[in-house]
Amino acid sequence: MGKRFKLHIDRNAEFELDLAPLLAVMVKLVPVLLISSAFVQMMIIETELPQVVQEAIKKQEADPGAAKISVAVTKTEGVKITLTEKGQAHIEVVGLNQDKTIDYPALHAKFVELKKSHPAVFKIDIQPESDVAYKDIVKVMDEARKAREANLKFPVKDEKTGKETTTEYMFPEIVFGNTMDG
Amino acid sequence: MARTRVKVNIKRSQTFGLNITSLTDMFTILLVFLLQNFAAGDVVIDPVDGVRLPSSMTDKNPVDGAKVSISAKEIKFEQKVVAVIANNKVDAASLDAHDDQFIKPLFDELKKLNVDKEKLAKTGKVLLQADENLPYDLLRKVMYTASMAGFPNLKLVTTVSSN
Repeated sequence: MGKRFKLHIDRNAEFELDLAPLLAVMVKLVPVLLISSAFVQMMIIETELPQVVQEAIKKQEADPGAAKISVAVTKTEGVKITLTEKGQAHIEVVGLNQDKTIDYPALHAKFVELKKSHPAVFKIDIQPESDVAYKDIVKVMDEARKAREANLKFPVKDEKTGKETTTEYMFPEIVFGNTMDG
Repeated sequence: MARTRVKVNIKRSQTFGLNITSLTDMFTILLVFLLQNFAAGDVVIDPVDGVRLPSSMTDKNPVDGAKVSISAKEIKFEQKVVAVIANNKVDAASLDAHDDQFIKPLFDELKKLNVDKEKLAKTGKVLLQADENLPYDLLRKVMYTASMAGFPNLKLVTTVSSN
């Protein structure tokens, strides 16, 4: 008669995992990543945009009667926004805070308001005064480029399909208008 | 009475197991952190000494172009100093006698780039690294000169900011 073989499993037995090869890989990887990592991440401000927005900008450039927005940044008065439409200029000023800095939330709200009333305009002229700090110009550009609220979208027409779509971009095409003034 | 010498019994052939679990844990955390910060962009921009870049919410990765930097002390093209700055003013010797917006040495270097790196020059892109506290007047001179040299596509290099 055959004897039934019984496998003895010791459920309380412990085993040690050999972590040495894993550690060896990590020791090699960490210095490589330390050398190649960029701890200060740098980005650029440029004008590469979604196709639909780019086409809308082209359309605006081709239309001589389109509304034009000019943004003058000054150290003493704040930001002066000039909207030129049908030969008439409307000027609005976003003043300075008590600490003599630009009121950026108010400026952003003004840009949103302008975009809502003129959804076809994507390009603005920025004209900072000579003594305005570079960081202030970058901040003004930031406020104008995109809507801060994630669910705030603006209508834009896809010229190829004719369909209406939306974009979070407000005024992504920012041109330094006074560079060549001399 | 003679003292008995204590003899420590050392087994030289004995091995011991080093517990490396905690070390592995530490390395795993470090590795995850480094992988997150790993720069995956095509173009690497080296920070310029003395230039504190402004922060922006832009999410565009750097592209290749002529690298110009402006610090409080000098204007550099790539690594070469092309003009000296003192009190936020470009050294008069570097400016054109008839046009105070025109930085002659920078123009010459950019023109040279048109010959040396024709493909790059054709893009007309300038990567501008400028100190955040500099006045616009200085930037305008560089922009004006770059435009005159055939580099009108200005790319402003910034650091990343979430707000």
